Amino acid sequence: MLRKPSLKRHILTLALSAILLVWLAAAIFTYFDARQELNEVLDAHLAQASTLLVAQASHELEEVETDHAPMLHKYSRRIAFQVWEDGRELRLHSANAPQTPLGKQEQGFSDATINGQHWRVFSAWDDSSSLLIHVAEQAEVRDALARNIASNLLRPLWVALPLLAIMIWWAVGGGLRPLTRLTREIEQRAPDNLAPLDATATPAEVTPLVERLNQLFVRIGSTIENERRFTADAAHELRTPIAAIKAQAQVARGATDDAARIHSLDGAIAGCDRATHLIEQLLTLARLENVTADALEPCALHTLAARVMAEIAPAALDKGVHLELADGDEVVIPGLPALLTVMLRNLIDNAIRHTLPGTTVRLEVSSIQGSPCIAVCDDGPGLQQDELEKISRRFYRPPGTAASGSGLGLSIVSRIAEIHGARLSLSSGTSNPGLKVTVSFPHAVQ
Amino acid sequence: MRILIVEDDALLGDAIQAGLKQSGYAVDWVRDGALADQVLATEPFDAAVLDIGLPRLSGLEVLRRLRGRKATLPVLLLTARDTVDDRIQGLDCGADDYLVKPFDMGELTARLRALVRRASGNTGPLLQIHDVELDPAAHRASYQGKPVDLSATEFALLHALMLSAGRVLSRAQLEEKLYAWGEEVESNAIEVHIHHLRRKISPTLIETIRGVGYLVR
Repeated sequence: MLRKPSLKRHILTLALSAILLVWLAAAIFTYFDARQELNEVLDAHLAQASTLLVAQASHELEEVETDHAPMLHKYSRRIAFQVWEDGRELRLHSANAPQTPLGKQEQGFSDATINGQHWRVFSAWDDSSSLLIHVAEQAEVRDALARNIASNLLRPLWVALPLLAIMIWWAVGGGLRPLTRLTREIEQRAPDNLAPLDATATPAEVTPLVERLNQLFVRIGSTIENERRFTADAAHELRTPIAAIKAQAQVARGATDDAARIHSLDGAIAGCDRATHLIEQLLTLARLENVTADALEPCALHTLAARVMAEIAPAALDKGVHLELADGDEVVIPGLPALLTVMLRNLIDNAIRHTLPGTTVRLEVSSIQGSPCIAVCDDGPGLQQDELEKISRRFYRPPGTAASGSGLGLSIVSRIAEIHGARLSLSSGTSNPGLKVTVSFPHAVQ
Repeated sequence: MRILIVEDDALLGDAIQAGLKQSGYAVDWVRDGALADQVLATEPFDAAVLDIGLPRLSGLEVLRRLRGRKATLPVLLLTARDTVDDRIQGLDCGADDYLVKPFDMGELTARLRALVRRASGNTGPLLQIHDVELDPAAHRASYQGKPVDLSATEFALLHALMLSAGRVLSRAQLEEKLYAWGEEVESNAIEVHIHHLRRKISPTLIETIRGVGYLVR
């Protein structure tokens, strides 16, 4: 199983790596810096030693019995010197010095390799130019010294790293506590608890998260509430036609004369038609929930309107309502033709349902200041101002509505308008007083 | 018996009206709350079937106003809302019974019978005075143990008189109980039906208080 990335582990790794890296860099820098400094200092020592040797040798050479100088310090093994008389005869040398000249030069610093060992040599003549003095030091000593200094710097790190790890672990834990608290709070929530989280005590980094979560809770809450209301409303709306069907059927069964029985059976069938219409509208609305405005294609509104009107005309004529499509130029908009058809059908169907027999339902396709419009006008009773606001709510039917409808038509129209970025507006019609429903689209096809 | 239906749905109202008429009730039907409120304030009914979701005035508000007038009329609420809260609210507003859509016509009429019976002070399902027995559920009447064949109107008339046993009912009151609005009532219809009842059952069953009305004791 893949282990989940842990924030705490991640921060710890990063911090420790950074510390390690910085420390190592410091050690390396120290190593090179120390070596350079050491070179300077030790070169100076070599020069000084040679000066001393020259001074001593010139005065006391005769008195020196032995050709060996005593060992004085652990490092002295790595320091050698030779005193050559006239540059040819080795008069005095340290125990570790070879019999051959240490330096090839006769003056100044040089590097020499003798028996596979690297030496740093300083050579000088005495004042009388009778004695050539080589003072040499193993280069190895210098490197070892620099390495020692650098590794001394690194040594505490092995103790410090675990300590730092523990401290960082503890500090990160403390720093992440508000996050852990938040996690626990959310974990322990009941699934239906959508109360906002307390954002007052959270640190600045976490506050946006909490605020976003709270906004999400509000949105989810209102969505759930909407769904719940919709389900309740839908059930309520379906119950009435079903109650009517059942009651009509029972009345038909108990009827004693044929006329009454046929009347009730007709009622039951009408109830079925209404329930079917309601269910179809509900399904349309449910399907529209998930539709998005991608894959728009050019739709010719005038042509589309003519087709829908032709489809509905027989039903309109049955009710004694005339349909009329106003002349106008073709307007082409980017849209979803199937949805626009549903929209037009609902608009015209609504108008036919609510207008009076013998009147006309007019449809107009136009382009007002570059904004394509569809307007449907009827000569029905129209709506009061306060009802104009409520009318596109789901299942809302104005009081006293004689026409049977689902109360969903305008909700469907409104949703399709929304998908197309169009605006739905209702106003009083031109006569008796009538209702005019206008859908304004944002733009035509460019 | 005269029942008021308050229901805005055309198909359902039509069905209830037809169904109750089949059971021999005089039925009046109004489609909005405000009208129902007016009618209930002015006309006598034996019971009302009230939908909650009504235009202009909700069924619950109609009920509240009715009870505000101290009217004891039995009211059966008819609604699509069936949560416990809805039922409690309905009953607390003064409803006597509660039926959720969709319902059974038989149950609706049975509940109405029970409501009317209780309102008239009777506890049993059968009405009995002297040797006359009336079964409102089965629409059957018997005299001295033998069944009597009555027409729907005769039965309704006897039922009304027996429900108000001991009280005088005027001709106008009886007409209101027997006929819905718009139904044609001949001027001597009640007298004719009383005559038939006396002939079919017993001449002494229904007493006439001249100039006032009729009663059963």
